[in-house]
Amino acid sequence: MDDFLVFEGLSKSFGAVQAVAQVSLTVRQGEIFSLLGPSGCGKTTLLRMVAGFETPDTGRILLGGEDITDLPPNRRKVNTIFQNYALFPHLSVRENIAFGRRVARQPRAEIERDVDRMLELIQMEAYADRRPDEISGGQKQRVAVARALINKPRVLLLDEPLAALDLKLRQHMLMELDLIHDEVGITFLYVTHDQGEAMSLSDRIAVMNHGRIEQTGAPAEIYEAPRSSFVAAFIGDTNFFDGVASAQSGADYLRLTIEGFPPVLCYNDKGISVGAPVNLSVRPEKFSLSREEPAADPLRNVVRGQVEDVIYMGAQTKYWVRVEAYRLAVTLQHRRFALDEKPITWNEAVWVSWHADDGFMLERYSEADEELMNTPPEEVGEEWAPEESEGDAAGSPAP
Amino acid sequence: MKPGRIPRATLILVLLFFYGPILILAVSSFNASRFGGSWDGFSLRWYRQLFHDRAVWDALRNTLIVALVSTTAAMGLGTTAAFALHRYRSRLQLWHYGLVYAPLVIPDILMGMSLLLFFVSLRLPLGLLSITLAHITFCISYVAMVVLARLQDFDFSLIEAALDLGASRWTAIRHVLLPLLAPGVLAGGLLAFTLSVDDFVITFFVAGPGSTTLPIYIYSMIKHGSPPMINALSVILLALTFIVVMLSQHLTEKRT
Amino acid sequence: MKRGRRAEFWITGPSFGWLLLWFGLPTLAVFLVSFRPADPFGGIGAGWTWATWRSLSNPNYPAIIWRTVWLSVAATALCLLLALPAGYYVARAPRRWRNRLMLLIVIPFWTNFLIRIFAWKVLLHPEGLLKQAGMALGLFTPETQLMYHAGAILLVLVYTYLPFALLPIYAAAERFDYALLEAACDLGSSRLGAFYRVFLPGIRRGLTTAALMVFIPALGSYVIPDLMGGASSEMIGNKIAQRTFVDRNLPHASALSALLSLTVLIPMILILYHRVRGSAPPALRPTETAP
Repeated sequence: MDDFLVFEGLSKSFGAVQAVAQVSLTVRQGEIFSLLGPSGCGKTTLLRMVAGFETPDTGRILLGGEDITDLPPNRRKVNTIFQNYALFPHLSVRENIAFGRRVARQPRAEIERDVDRMLELIQMEAYADRRPDEISGGQKQRVAVARALINKPRVLLLDEPLAALDLKLRQHMLMELDLIHDEVGITFLYVTHDQGEAMSLSDRIAVMNHGRIEQTGAPAEIYEAPRSSFVAAFIGDTNFFDGVASAQSGADYLRLTIEGFPPVLCYNDKGISVGAPVNLSVRPEKFSLSREEPAADPLRNVVRGQVEDVIYMGAQTKYWVRVEAYRLAVTLQHRRFALDEKPITWNEAVWVSWHADDGFMLERYSEADEELMNTPPEEVGEEWAPEESEGDAAGSPAP
Repeated sequence: MKPGRIPRATLILVLLFFYGPILILAVSSFNASRFGGSWDGFSLRWYRQLFHDRAVWDALRNTLIVALVSTTAAMGLGTTAAFALHRYRSRLQLWHYGLVYAPLVIPDILMGMSLLLFFVSLRLPLGLLSITLAHITFCISYVAMVVLARLQDFDFSLIEAALDLGASRWTAIRHVLLPLLAPGVLAGGLLAFTLSVDDFVITFFVAGPGSTTLPIYIYSMIKHGSPPMINALSVILLALTFIVVMLSQHLTEKRT
Repeated sequence: MKRGRRAEFWITGPSFGWLLLWFGLPTLAVFLVSFRPADPFGGIGAGWTWATWRSLSNPNYPAIIWRTVWLSVAATALCLLLALPAGYYVARAPRRWRNRLMLLIVIPFWTNFLIRIFAWKVLLHPEGLLKQAGMALGLFTPETQLMYHAGAILLVLVYTYLPFALLPIYAAAERFDYALLEAACDLGSSRLGAFYRVFLPGIRRGLTTAALMVFIPALGSYVIPDLMGGASSEMIGNKIAQRTFVDRNLPHASALSALLSLTVLIPMILILYHRVRGSAPPALRPTETAP
């Protein structure tokens, strides 16, 4: 069952805003699949279409081969963990968990047995009779998970489930979610804007931007071989250089001309031809810094620069190095006792080098993308608007 | 920075101002003297006289009939109004909002006058029916505003959560929305009930012969009746009000 | 979209229809009837006429309108003057005290309106406690009239509507960030200066709401002048009632009501105009004000 949850050409607009544009995706059974992107990229709308809260304008959603596009939310075998958990405040933890089964009018004894099992799974037996406002954020999240899982959904939808928690708790819950996934083996569709969460939890990630999927792949694939400059910049930090492919060098490498730089060698996996303008991207941790010129190596690019800023961060040190028109971000990992290292400091002249295989060439990303990447998520605005009445399309939130 | 002495003094003054007259009223209701000027000793005679006054009981019955009917109707109409106002943002709702909001700010006498005129033009007999119609009309707005405020705090993802867990739309409304909204609707109803019981001006305009409510009876007693009996009646109403306020306070505190 | 529209009509219909029938149309009727002649049997005659409106220029009316307006303005000013420091004090009180104090303030507002007025009638009565105490202290002579003049009306107006001013001011003052006052003092402002320059602008909305909540009902007051005032201190409300119940001249009462509606609309439009473009629904929000 490799094609478990399938999106075929999904599109959805709210008024003039296209939230989701021609998305086709395949999620495999049992995997944790993340939709990752900045706020407003359409990931939540996509999730809400699977849940049944939004109807796509075009396209189909197939779950295990069955077309569920037009099914109402209450008739889909999927369940959601909401961003704020949406626990019913007037019901106890136990009643919250039992809700789905009670609504389905199952025998009381059976429900009780399963609720007890769920309470055990989330280790909340002692809190069964508390109300949601009497338990902590992490506990709420666990109850939300149990409330969804007790219905044995075929897919569990998670809408930024950790956003409401503080950092420490977030890391803890991340591990817990992973454990629960191992235990129940249900497919997870996980929506987040936090690349760290997506990277550490997912089997595969789809990076979204402007309602489109930029790239789908395993976390390492997406980090090491981003297919667009948006992905490169959104996942981790990177340095971009403007250049032109000037000559072929052997079968696999291109020689690039970058203003003010000696010729730069780069691995060419995308079949870029000589004469094309390119954007070279090199991640900060791929650079080496040294006071002396490094030993000559035909596959190493070497440039001279001057350290402009240093931030010591404990495990690593971040440098900003001026090289001609560029201000490079360089991260060095400390391997020895930092005080003995006589570390490179502010204003020193240094050699910056990197391996030709560690850079990658991309098309240039637009200014709009850059702005989006730099905007904190809360300023991008709500991703979805309620369905009814034309007035809604204007998107005025409730007073 | 702590608030200074003037605000504190003003608050004390205001509270004295509020309670002084009421306390004096309460004390004089137990005064045996017919005229408030001197204290002739503790007595319950005005209360006794009040209990034997048939007209008071009739007025009370009328008041309660009107209040119960109009509160029930206003709770229904006001709740649906609040829903519509909260859920939709259309031109229709702008007019709707105007209609719900205006009765709250317009002086009572204008509403009483216009309703009287309207009833007269429709040849609708003035009596308990016309009073009830008028009361429903102003109570809707109060219920709607209270429920609307509750809805603004209501997290609609709870409805989605219920649907997501397999509930039908109706089940979601019945098991999630209504129980959570009930305190708001109840609070709105309580407000409507008190306003209906209390209303004098509008009732006075649209009342006819044989439909005297308690406030109208009090008014005629103030105008031509015996003051000590009003004192006694006032104390009873005050006590009832205190009980209702405390009850509603208890209700809202427990729920939130 | 279609389905949503129909659902909207179904849920809007009942309240919209009711209020249109029993509030919208009657209000409209007042304006229409003011242009109809009166018939001698207390009903509404046929045809249309300006006569009723013209008769409002009778020198009696401008005086009554003027009295109505100044009494309302004075009541509003006094209410704000008292409510501002009191509301401020409650807002700065420890959290668990705030609700209790507000409850204390609100309870008189829940007691019957007529009884509150009657309490003052008892107090101000020529045989009443206040008069006797005043005479014992040599403040009053036996001829001093405590009731049946504009002063008594003003007093009871303030007494009746002060809670309406206190609630919105308290609601606004409670949300105010008091670090701003400290910041103003830190920047060299005096306490009073900080109050004027920072606090008052900060609770502006609460102030305008409070002013409206006193001014508008005061303009339309009828029972208070009826019970507390004399023949020389009538307000518009008294005239409307008099035309309705005593003279049975409904067109005349309608014209006066229409005039009062217009007077009420002016301050409302002025204030709401500045707010409508904002996000929140206007003025009265019972959660902010109810205990």
